[in-house]
Amino acid sequence: MFGRSRSWVGGGHGKAARSIHSLDHLKYMYHVLTKNTTVTDHNRNLLVETIRSITEILIWGDQNDSSVFDFFLEKNMFVFFLNILRQKSGRYVCVQLLQTLNILFENISHETSLYYLLSNNYVNSIIVHKFDFSDEEIMAYYISFLKTLSLKLNNHTVHFFYNEHTNDFALYTEAIKFFNHPESMVRIAVRTITLNVYKVDNQPMLHYIRDKTAVPYFSNLVWFIGSHVIELDNCVQTDEEHRNRGKLSDLVAEHLDHLHYLNDILIINCEFLNDVLTDHLLNRLFLPLYVYSLVNQDKGGERPKISLQVSLYLLSQVFLIIHYAPLVNSLAEVILNGDLSVFSSKVEQDIQKNSAKSSIRCFIKPTETLERSLEINKQKGRKKVQKRPNYKNVGEEDEEERGSEDNQDDLDKTKGTEASSKGIRTSSENEEIEMVIMERCKLSELSISTVTEQNTTDEEKSAAASGSEITNWNRPFLDMVYNALDCAEDDYYALFVLCLLYAMSHNKGIDPVKLERIQLPAQHAEERNSYNHVLAEGLIRIMNYAAQPDGKIRLATLELGCLLLKQLVFSKNGSIIKDVHLACLEGAREESVHLLRRFYKGEEIFLDMFEDEYRSMTIKPMNVEYLMMDASILLPPTGTPLTGIDFVKRLPCGDVERTRRAIRVFFMLRSLSLHLRDEPETQLPLTREEDLIKTDDVLDLNNSDLIACTVITKDGGQVQRFLAVDIYQMSLVEPDVARLGWGVVKFAGLLQDMQVTGVEDDSRALNIIIHKPASSPHSKPFPILQATFIFSDHIRCIIAKQRLAKGRIQARRMKMQRIAALLDLPVQPSTEIVMGFGHSSAATAQHLPFRFYDQSRRGTSDPTVQRSVFASVDKVPGFAVAQCINQHNPSPLSSPSPSSGSGSTGRCDSVTASSTSTPSAAQSPSDDASAPEQPQMTISGQTMLTDETLSAVSKSSKNAVKNSDIETANLSPSLIPAQQPTISLITDDNTDALSVESLTLVPPVDPHSIRTFSCILQSSLQSEVEVCKVKEVEEECSD
Amino acid sequence: MEAIWLYQFRLIVIGDSTVGKSCLIRRFTEGRFAQISDPTVGVDFFSRLVEIEPGKRIKLQIWDTAGQERFRSITRAYYRNSVGGLLLFDITNRRSFQNVHEWLEETKVHVQPYQIVFVLVGHKCDLDTQRQVTRHEAEKLAAAYGMKYIETSARDAINVEKAFTDLTRDIYELVKRGEISIQEGWEGVKSGFVPNVVHSSEEVVKSDRRCLC
Repeated sequence: MFGRSRSWVGGGHGKAARSIHSLDHLKYMYHVLTKNTTVTDHNRNLLVETIRSITEILIWGDQNDSSVFDFFLEKNMFVFFLNILRQKSGRYVCVQLLQTLNILFENISHETSLYYLLSNNYVNSIIVHKFDFSDEEIMAYYISFLKTLSLKLNNHTVHFFYNEHTNDFALYTEAIKFFNHPESMVRIAVRTITLNVYKVDNQPMLHYIRDKTAVPYFSNLVWFIGSHVIELDNCVQTDEEHRNRGKLSDLVAEHLDHLHYLNDILIINCEFLNDVLTDHLLNRLFLPLYVYSLVNQDKGGERPKISLQVSLYLLSQVFLIIHYAPLVNSLAEVILNGDLSVFSSKVEQDIQKNSAKSSIRCFIKPTETLERSLEINKQKGRKKVQKRPNYKNVGEEDEEERGSEDNQDDLDKTKGTEASSKGIRTSSENEEIEMVIMERCKLSELSISTVTEQNTTDEEKSAAASGSEITNWNRPFLDMVYNALDCAEDDYYALFVLCLLYAMSHNKGIDPVKLERIQLPAQHAEERNSYNHVLAEGLIRIMNYAAQPDGKIRLATLELGCLLLKQLVFSKNGSIIKDVHLACLEGAREESVHLLRRFYKGEEIFLDMFEDEYRSMTIKPMNVEYLMMDASILLPPTGTPLTGIDFVKRLPCGDVERTRRAIRVFFMLRSLSLHLRDEPETQLPLTREEDLIKTDDVLDLNNSDLIACTVITKDGGQVQRFLAVDIYQMSLVEPDVARLGWGVVKFAGLLQDMQVTGVEDDSRALNIIIHKPASSPHSKPFPILQATFIFSDHIRCIIAKQRLAKGRIQARRMKMQRIAALLDLPVQPSTEIVMGFGHSSAATAQHLPFRFYDQSRRGTSDPTVQRSVFASVDKVPGFAVAQCINQHNPSPLSSPSPSSGSGSTGRCDSVTASSTSTPSAAQSPSDDASAPEQPQMTISGQTMLTDETLSAVSKSSKNAVKNSDIETANLSPSLIPAQQPTISLITDDNTDALSVESLTLVPPVDPHSIRTFSCILQSSLQSEVEVCKVKEVEEECSD
Repeated sequence: MEAIWLYQFRLIVIGDSTVGKSCLIRRFTEGRFAQISDPTVGVDFFSRLVEIEPGKRIKLQIWDTAGQERFRSITRAYYRNSVGGLLLFDITNRRSFQNVHEWLEETKVHVQPYQIVFVLVGHKCDLDTQRQVTRHEAEKLAAAYGMKYIETSARDAINVEKAFTDLTRDIYELVKRGEISIQEGWEGVKSGFVPNVVHSSEEVVKSDRRCLC
């Protein structure tokens, strides 16, 4: 059928467009219509084609010739359309007509043309026409047509649709009948129509909406939402092995759709509609179903219930999405401060009026269908017998009238509640139904006012309680929330509680006073000096569990916990956390260090994982709204990735994931700890953008080792470049035209992510690939360089290969050492030093092949200092020892004490000395290390390990390390800022195994100087690294 | 005569206004470029059958969200109930290309944690002389987001069919492999009337649908 529906524009029969788009042609079409007033099988196609042409001419006329519309109106051509419709002419004609009208109204741009078309009520006749809605196509085009019309609504056009005198608003009332249509697209269209209607600021129309339709529509809508929720809950409760996830995610998405729709209505901010809607949402859904289920988890009972996790989850969604103050405040008030009386107190208050025991806040089915309610209302409206509107709700007229109404209500009440307590029954007696509805409205109105009453009294109370103490009121909902924080078993509920608290505290509509009651500050809270200890302790407990090896805390829970804790204990002027809490937190952080140590391995992959996790954590910080859109967290936490659940939302599976988890826990707790101590992060990320050489940097390359090469990229491009290798990066430079000896960086890439391979049939060429680290764990690494390098001869090629390969190993090793330092692990010396350093330092120090500017830059913050250090490093041609002295003495930041100069040379020597020690000698200090009074000795022992002994000894030293950590726990060394991977200076004093030379040059043992020297040490260490590299290259070349 | 189709896919067409969304849809569903009115004739939704393999027809329902962007709930519902989409930009309008990222972000917000299968469409490729976006950079962007890239022109009927059918085929493959599965309550993919039992072996396994991440 769609094939036939093509070609409505332009006629398409080869005729010139000019003749088709004209008044004359319209006249001809009119003639056709008059000749074919009865639809038959023969003229069906002709009629459809005619209607199409007319539409086309009208659209054309809208922009070009207004006489077209005059003629159309004059001849009442709409009547023909209606006439055709009414002949039950079948699906084909119906669909065509609806589609054509749809296109017509969509494309009319002039207001006047639109008025013409709408002016004589024919459109309303089409709207109320009883189409065959069981037909999917007809339904779709019909609702689309209504939607198109609703998009044309404004303060003027609304009069064509809403008739004040007859209380008719077919467009709206016909549309809302489909609010629960099984097709979601129909429902969406209905929502669009309603929103478009509410948006029109026409008081009589809105009054009509409220008085005649709001209660039936909203009560049915709320029931519809609630039914979905019950279904959702069933889905969660009957789930086995996560089999229901597909269905569940749809139900969750459906709930979100509902909330967004409700929020869109509330945002329009039509006050009296919002009152009715808020009342229904609160008293018919959120309170009786969601909140009530927080406490009454026992099965059975009359009231419908949902499970705790579903209730917490849905409430979080409510607070994340809906920000309408009256609604969220009342809801928050009950959760944070209410007790069960909210479900019975209304009855007590009304007891004098109403002896029947009816629970007003109840999730019950509306007594009649929406269609029926609308029907009744319409009849009522027409019967002028009615003194006042039936669906009187709130504040339409003045107070006195409401008073009189109350009296009347009292009389009606007994009858009304009887009806409602008998539950779902459709009464044929209009009168009674009306009363039931009125009754309910009246009562809910009261209930709203009581909530407000409660508010004020409670505020006074809390003021009296002066905040900090946790009162002993009965607050079952809040208790439940706190209880659910407990994660001894798992964090199933805790995650939802955290989300709920987060959502409440970030809700723009919530009065901060409400949150103050549980001393949870809103996002930008005022100055304060106390916080909620119960909550803080709950959060810290989560962190403690998370740092346990078998902790069943998901990463999402931990991250959210950290967020909330920061929010909780941060006042305007910084952290107000109590020492005892901070200490507990430090304990958790220490635990996380211990946990990660178990996974620390020398393997390449560990470094990649470490950096990867850091990246993905910083790139993708927690988004609670997204988290709460994911239905998978509704099911019990699982470990298997086979469910497809995101890593952070489940427990780890296997060693790799356990490692990843340990890394993340470490990052989060470290960051939290630093944040609460107001200390900057100086160690992470391991590679900081600002420290790296970037493209177009101009470097002083005087005396640098550069290797000329031709770079052939994959797409065939060919350029001449000089290859330079830095500590973390390799770069391709071309000479700077402005300054001799300087170079412009054309490419810089991390050595650690580089792959170098020889080219089979060309001994002068190398294939080099550098990958950009993947931005997410799932995406593939993307090569930023993929090229063949051709050198002038095979020796240079070998040298380049050597440098790159060594550089890669070295860069990775440096980083591993820094991780080790972060974990307070003994530093493993670069085995390069040990292995390659077979000769005297004096001999090798003559050749320093590489320029390492990076590390010396890192310690400084002042850019000018940086530059000078940078420059001085660059200039040093090949005198390693001299460089150590020259480079650091003039730098004010790196040499705070006069002894530093000698210290740094001393470092060069002492490392040299220690690294020349044999592995067997290295063993002896590590034995001493177990002596508790000298815990650092372990470190000195480690410094001398060679690759061969590494694994064996690191195992044996693990216990010693643990001991030492327990001893030094208060120091929490990984938090000392600016600490670089160091070979401890202290140990030199105490270790006999080291050379005399090093003893004499070492500065006094003082933790401060250790720190300040660390960066010097670092660079001198690098010098050593360079030295041995030269050595190797030399050896290789001489071979 | 009810057309027989294997599946129904619901698609959305998004992109800045003026990039020619409606024209593209119109061209595809009617095979004709609408010259009648300017600004373009708006369309609400259209559907068309596409034969991806002999005897295997897919019904495409294409939604144009024009005019409804004001309400978040509506946009959300549109996005959520779509399995695929054409993300349009105008090759003669650099700004529309720069906004591609915004559009993807917006989609992401609405369909989390699922994904919509997108194809990036550089529209108005008949206006090559006024081109402001090179094919290369568009391809690069598409690759970065894991999408295909295609250049179309509704006026000259270049690649219009191909853009839709390629996308349909990709989705069909995902459905066949069970990576997208039909779910009650979700209208992105619907199972149609299967003419005979030939296709029964390809019935989709109910599994983790749409989660392509």
